[in-house]
Amino acid sequence: MTPAPTRSPDHLTLALPKGRILEEAISLLSRAGLPLTLPEKSRALRHEFPGVTVLELRNQDVPVYVDLGVADAGIVGKDVLIESGREVYEPVDLRFAACRLSLIREVGDTTPIVRVGTKYPGAARAYLNARGIPAEVVKLSGNIELAALTGLAEAVIDLVQTGSTLRANNLEEVDVLFESSARLIVNRAALKLRRERLRPLIERLRELVAEQN
Amino acid sequence: MRPVSSPARPPSPPPSAFIPEGTRDVLPPEWEQREALRTRLSALFSAWGYRGVELPALEYADAQHPQDARAFKLIDSGGQVLALRSEFTTAMGRLVRARFAGGPFPLRLHYSGRLWLRALTSELGRLREFGQTGVELIGIEGARADAELLHLAAAALEQVGVNAQLEVGFPGFVDAVLEDAGLHGPARNALHGAVDRKSGADIDLLSRQHGLSGAVTHTLHALTDLYGGPEVLDAAARLSQGVRARAAVDHLTEVSKLYEGNLLYDLGASRRYDYYTGLTFRAYAAGLNQPVLGGGRYTLDGGLPGAGFAMGLERLLRAAAPQLPPQPEVVLALDNAGAKAAREAGLYAELAWTDDLNELRLYSEARGIRRWSRGAKLFDMAELSDMQVNP
Repeated sequence: MTPAPTRSPDHLTLALPKGRILEEAISLLSRAGLPLTLPEKSRALRHEFPGVTVLELRNQDVPVYVDLGVADAGIVGKDVLIESGREVYEPVDLRFAACRLSLIREVGDTTPIVRVGTKYPGAARAYLNARGIPAEVVKLSGNIELAALTGLAEAVIDLVQTGSTLRANNLEEVDVLFESSARLIVNRAALKLRRERLRPLIERLRELVAEQN
Repeated sequence: MRPVSSPARPPSPPPSAFIPEGTRDVLPPEWEQREALRTRLSALFSAWGYRGVELPALEYADAQHPQDARAFKLIDSGGQVLALRSEFTTAMGRLVRARFAGGPFPLRLHYSGRLWLRALTSELGRLREFGQTGVELIGIEGARADAELLHLAAAALEQVGVNAQLEVGFPGFVDAVLEDAGLHGPARNALHGAVDRKSGADIDLLSRQHGLSGAVTHTLHALTDLYGGPEVLDAAARLSQGVRARAAVDHLTEVSKLYEGNLLYDLGASRRYDYYTGLTFRAYAAGLNQPVLGGGRYTLDGGLPGAGFAMGLERLLRAAAPQLPPQPEVVLALDNAGAKAAREAGLYAELAWTDDLNELRLYSEARGIRRWSRGAKLFDMAELSDMQVNP
C-alpha cells in the first residue's frame, strides 16, 4: 500500500468508473463545486485535486471501493450497483447513462427458456426465480445478444439503451427487469463522519439534477 | 549398524497447507495485539459489573435463528443437525433462559469468541470465521439502561484507543412512519430497504408502483435525510404523527439527555427493523470508514427485554493497532540466570539451545534479536566477539 500523502480529516476520496461516465461525472461534480478537472490521458490511476482524490476504476469495482471504505463516495450505474449486492447509500439519482436491463429474445421466439446468457447473473437469477422460470444462467462477458442468435441461450438479459442493436439483429425486448441510471453512492460511515462535505455535495447534486429535468 | 532413526517408509505427501476460503491464520504480532485488546475489554466490562461467560461453538440448528440460512451445519452422531455459532445474542438468550431463568435481573454478562457464517461473504471482503467480543444487559429496559450501554460502548472504544463516533438509530421509528403513512405488507418491506439505503430513486420508483400520494413520498424522502447531530431529533419530531413514532423520538431525546457526550443520529436506519425492538447504535472509527461496534435493544425468546453490543475483533484491531503499546524486546539468554534476569527486567527471553555461537548469531539475526543475556549481564550481540564465551 502506498502511503497516502498527509490529508486533512475532511479529505474526500471518490471512486469513478473509467470511460464515458468519468467525463460526465467530473463535469457534474465540478459544477457541484468540487475542484475537479478531467485528468489528461496518462497512466496515473489516482488523481489528486485540492481536498479530493479521484480513483479511476472499472465500473464493477466502484461499489467495492465504496463499501469497504477506501473511497468515501463514488458514481456508478444502478445496474452495476444491484449486481454488486453492496450495502451502500445511494442518495442521488444523477439521471445520466440511462438504460434498462431487459429480457431479450429473437423476434417471435416462444420456445421455453432453458438457458439465459447475461453479464448480470445475480439480477438474472433473481428475476428468473421471481417469475418461476426454471432456466440456467450462463455468465458471459460481451456481445451478449450473440447468445440468443446462435442458440447458446433461448434468451439473454442485457442492457438496452436505444434498442437499435436489437432491431438490427432481429431481436426484441420481451420484458424490462429495471431501469438504470448513474447514481451517487456513499459509504455508510463516511456519510456520517464526513457529512460536513458530503451533505452539501448531495444537496447541490440534487439541485443540479432537478434543474436539468 | 542402522541409524537410530531411519526413514522406514517413503515419505507420504504432506497434507494441504491451505485453509478454507474466508478463514485465516492469526500470526505474531497480530495474535498478541488481539489478546491485548481482548484482555483490556474484558477487564473494562468486569469493572462495569458485567460477568464473563463462555458459550459452546456448537449449537442445535434452529430454523427460527436469525442467521439460520447462513450458518454452517453439521450432523451429530444421533442425527440431529448442529450449527456452528453464527451470532452471539441468540446464543446468549439461550444461556440466559437455561442458566439464569430466575435472574437476578438486571443481568450483566460479557462474552468473547468466534463466529462462523457459511454464506460466501469473503468475496465481499469479509471473513467467514471471525472474532467478536461484547456485552448483554438483560431484564431491564428504559432510557437509563440504553444510556448505560452507550456509555460502556464509548468507554470500550476509549479503552482500546480507538477514536470513534457513536451513532444511534431507532428502526421502529421508520416502521412507525411507514405505518402512519398507511403502508402495509410488501410495500412497507420494500420501502424499509429503500429508506435504509437512502435511495431517493428507489423511493420514487416504489411510490409510483404502489400509487403513493405526493405527501407520503415527501415524508419518505425526508426520512432519508434524518441523519446528523441533535437537530435530527427535532426534524424527526416534526415528521412524527402516530403514537409509536412520537414515543420513539421521546425515548431518543431522553437517552440523549442522559448521555454524557456527543451522539450522532440516523433515524432513517432501519436494518433488521423486525429484530430490534428499540434503539440501535453503532460506532464509526475515524479513518476506517467501517463500523467497529454495533448493538441495540431486542426481546429474548420468552419475552425478557435485552440490549447489548458487539465489537468485531479483526476490524477493531485495524483501528486500534497503531495505538497499542509495542511488545517488550525479545533477548536471547545464554543461561537460565540470564533469562530470569531479563524477564525480571520486563523483557521477553528465549533460551539458547546450543553453545555454537555462530548458529545463535544467525538465528538472532533472522529473528530480529539484538541483545543477549548471561547471568545478570545484558549485552549487544555485536559485543560478543570481545568477550570470553565460557568464563
